Amino acid sequence: MTGRVEELPEPTGQSLPLPERWAPPEERETIPGVSWAWQAITGVLLLVLLTLHMIANHFVVQGGLRDYQQVIDYITNPIILPLETLFLVVVSWHGLLGLRAVIFDFGLSARAERVVTRVFLAIWVVTVIYGVSLLAILVTRR
Amino acid sequence: MTRDAEVRSSSSAPLAARRRGVAGWVDVRGRRLGGVAFILNRITGLGVLFYLYLHLVVLSQLAVGPAAWDSLLKNWFLNPVFLVLDVVLLAGLLIHGLNGIRVALVGLGLVVSRQKALLGAAGTIGAIVLLIGTLMFISHGG
Repeated sequence: MTGRVEELPEPTGQSLPLPERWAPPEERETIPGVSWAWQAITGVLLLVLLTLHMIANHFVVQGGLRDYQQVIDYITNPIILPLETLFLVVVSWHGLLGLRAVIFDFGLSARAERVVTRVFLAIWVVTVIYGVSLLAILVTRR
Repeated sequence: MTRDAEVRSSSSAPLAARRRGVAGWVDVRGRRLGGVAFILNRITGLGVLFYLYLHLVVLSQLAVGPAAWDSLLKNWFLNPVFLVLDVVLLAGLLIHGLNGIRVALVGLGLVVSRQKALLGAAGTIGAIVLLIGTLMFISHGG
């Protein structure tokens, strides 16, 4: 590895494939896990989806926020509907995966971690069903 | 990686922080700049997740009907207090998103030796976008 080392990796907050000389043994992580990859992939997707959501719902609307009819017109747009649905799926996954990581920081047993994972998966499914149902109700009101 | 190994390695906190539980990652003593960024990422992540579910609950008013939504908009969301909360939300999203990009880049082994510069760039971009966003919130009224 070339380049000036400015900082040790302990504070970066993720599983890092860093050179061993950068961290004392107790700070070294293994290779990034599947959860880390999911978090990164959904994070990148969110950069696009959240930017679109914020611009469309906060920055270009006259008056700042959409009234009821404007929401219906917006959500029934054939391009917007799949994008907002994808946004719901991705943002809830990313957020719940992040909260799961925070809970894991309490130092749970492997069995408890598996239970937490299943509970969070269930919450994610319920969240998506709720959001899609709401979208479906609104679409039928056009 | 086995399922158990994946579960064990899926927490994104540094190992030392994980050993100390949540108290480990909120303790800023002796941390470098990246450590503070890690804590900020956790706090903003939790805040944004809380907002997400609050947002989803509030959106249920759209299913009630136009009167319910438009009344909520007029009486609550266009209030100056909510304008301030919008700015706080934008700041949280920017901190979490931009620092998330830095963490992902470093986690992938890219620009690892320039973490401080990355933080500087993220801070600068974040401040500019926050300023522009705040001005747009003010000009649009919400």
